Amino acid sequence: MGPFLFLKNIMKNIIHKNSIILFILLSFINSQTIAIKAGKIYTAEKERAYNNGILLIKNGKIVAVGKNIRIPNKAKILDYSNYEIVPGFIDNHSHIGTPPEDLNEFPVVFGPQHKIIDILSPDKTYWEKAYKGGVTTVVTGPGSGEVSSGQAVVIKTWGGRIEERVLLEKGGVKIAMGGKRSSPKTSMAVTSFLREKFIKAKEYEKRIIEWEKGKKDSPAPEKDLALEAFAEVLSGKDRIRSHVHSAHDILSILRLKDEFNFDLTLHHSTEAYKVPEEIAKRNVKVVGMPLFSRIGISDSVMYTGKIMNEHGILFAFHTDDPVVSSKWQRGNAGMGIRYGMTEQAALEAITINPAIIANVSDRVGSLKKGKDADFVVIDGRWYEPKSRIEKVYINGMEVYNRERTKN
Amino acid sequence: MINTQIFKHQLIHLMRVSFLLFFTFSTLFAQSIAIKGGRIITITGPVIEKGTIIIDGGIIKDVGLNINIPHDAKIINASGKVIMPGLIDAMTYYGIDPKDLNESIKTISPELRIIEAYYPFGKFGDGTGEIKANDLLSGGITTIYIAPGDATILGGQGAIVKTAASTFDKMVVRAPAAIDITLGSKPGKLNRKENRTPVTKMAAVSQLRDTFIKAQEYQNIKDNPVRDLSMEAMNLLLERKIPARIQANGPGDIRTAMNLADEFNFDLIIDGGASSDTYIDELADKSISIVLGPVSHPYISGEEIPDLSEYPTVDEGLAGRLHKAGIKVAFGSFSYGLGSLAKGITGKWLLIDAAITTGYGMPEDAVLRSITLSAAEILDVDDRVGSLEVGKDADIIILDGDPLSIKTWVERVYISGKLVYTKK
Repeated sequence: MGPFLFLKNIMKNIIHKNSIILFILLSFINSQTIAIKAGKIYTAEKERAYNNGILLIKNGKIVAVGKNIRIPNKAKILDYSNYEIVPGFIDNHSHIGTPPEDLNEFPVVFGPQHKIIDILSPDKTYWEKAYKGGVTTVVTGPGSGEVSSGQAVVIKTWGGRIEERVLLEKGGVKIAMGGKRSSPKTSMAVTSFLREKFIKAKEYEKRIIEWEKGKKDSPAPEKDLALEAFAEVLSGKDRIRSHVHSAHDILSILRLKDEFNFDLTLHHSTEAYKVPEEIAKRNVKVVGMPLFSRIGISDSVMYTGKIMNEHGILFAFHTDDPVVSSKWQRGNAGMGIRYGMTEQAALEAITINPAIIANVSDRVGSLKKGKDADFVVIDGRWYEPKSRIEKVYINGMEVYNRERTKN
Repeated sequence: MINTQIFKHQLIHLMRVSFLLFFTFSTLFAQSIAIKGGRIITITGPVIEKGTIIIDGGIIKDVGLNINIPHDAKIINASGKVIMPGLIDAMTYYGIDPKDLNESIKTISPELRIIEAYYPFGKFGDGTGEIKANDLLSGGITTIYIAPGDATILGGQGAIVKTAASTFDKMVVRAPAAIDITLGSKPGKLNRKENRTPVTKMAAVSQLRDTFIKAQEYQNIKDNPVRDLSMEAMNLLLERKIPARIQANGPGDIRTAMNLADEFNFDLIIDGGASSDTYIDELADKSISIVLGPVSHPYISGEEIPDLSEYPTVDEGLAGRLHKAGIKVAFGSFSYGLGSLAKGITGKWLLIDAAITTGYGMPEDAVLRSITLSAAEILDVDDRVGSLEVGKDADIIILDGDPLSIKTWVERVYISGKLVYTKK
């Protein structure tokens, strides 16, 4: 125990006092090629899985994945022959990284200028439940108290400083459909409120463009960060993430999309199963209920994933942490399988699909040459609640080791 | 004259026919059933591959590998299926209208009986009149404990019921089954809002102590001329005819519960027990059983998100640690069950909760025992339910695979030998 504690203290000092040295040290370790052998590798690329496959990683990136891969002589070999490997999970709708009381600026109802990135804490206690459960990337954002509550961010759950972990700063502008406030009170008032804001944003954008066209001779138009956020949505620089439960509210947001033509993803999407044709027709993406919470979710809603798949709608699961703990994102996929999704489709719904929806599929979401080496090692079928996650890697680094952490 | 003759004839004919019908139906009813060819998890003995269970008169007549099947038995082919005892959700507020749960203006009400608020008939003024909890049956739950709400300190007497029966009386397994007490901050919080006592935990404990002492005094008066129903209920506790179920999640509340049990010498079951690690050895020494809340979800019960210091974050490993320490564990959904008013996870998901704990150190056989026989033992109804043993009620579920897989569905449920649920 003595020498171990001594070493631990030294490590602690290094970590606290000289993180640069540590970083260099880590990058040195990272530059070695690692060959991971596994009983089964699920890539989340179209129906691609390898029995007794090999995953080759270097500098935090995937170099190769497949069955007959030559392992370089100097490579370090990790043998997970009795395990399954899946890509790091992606949670497209979460509220981690900050205390819950900081999520809603209610009673302000319009705050699309608020940015979750401004308040994210580097304290790992906010993040570890995610990476312990295999979630390596999240889209975390403000709550749904306001009609528009602000901007989400796409971020890894582990890594250096918050800024270094960000994959995409423009993670989408959150709006919440449906009447649940004192004002605007009804569903139709919320939709009408949003329609007016989109029109105002359009006018705002026009003023800016005209001012720029006029070689900025006149005094600059007054800045309005809220309208600017909506204007960015209208010009395609950002997207709308719409909290929506009932079918008529889904139809309302689709109508707004028809009017203003923005990139749209439905979130929660409780009654999406009632209007799949309308959603499919407009190429709108669906992030479905966190089924693993199992609270007040009827069987009809449980089949959402299957129905979206049948209609060719890009579908992902989310935890909505704290509704379901981040660590049970794979439980959502498990429930999806229980309710009619294929294993492949359910895996895609927690890996590549949320990555595509979040616009980061060039970096994460599947095990493919050139992508980040984010993956999960599991001691049984990846979707079974009784299987345990043994190890989690982010950027080729082991960030969770069950044996070492003893839980 | 002639008319009455014809009438008489017809009447006799009708009686003959109805007698015949009655006879046929009663033999049908009495017909034994043989469930054949499945993998039988008896809980008490080893797993029987391709075994047979004989049911007669609602009771398990025989179970084993090579057993005689009565020639007139109705045979149910269960090959490829898994057969196990009906599951027990050891703590629910199921079937009780939320407005009937808490007599909140009275903090201590041992005389109240939850069975008098139990409503297993579906929606008011609607439905077929079947006495059935279909949502629970779909999860294989055949027996549940129902409790008065946890918004007061002593809510009253809980009961144990089955989830389907031909008559209400047959549904009731035991009532009263326990006295339900809530420690923790919830009653105090509500009282503070209503400006009434007790607000602090120490006042709550002191009022409970007062009630116990009064019950002791009541016990000592011979030939009491005036009946006191609340004292009579407390005496059931003091005479150890029924246990106290104390909802205690914080470490301080668990300590208080154990101290009260020592002080007044009653049988104790801890509900929730989220922080029972703190007193794990003491709980084991005293053989106190624990009914755990939903393991995969941070919100346990109640109208609002409870105090997080009392209901700590998800702890999948607690069941395994308690089991290892030799403490008997059951699971409770702590859920309401009236449609959209449902709070918490309904008992329908008991098997998935059980599966989660196996990933975190609870052995598979132990967790299956937890949600069947251990629960029956804790509720003291193991003479009737909880395992597939000769002489017990034929409460049997048939599953299409490993009970602990997320892919597995309950296909059929038998209660007292009667098929009460079939998966669509």
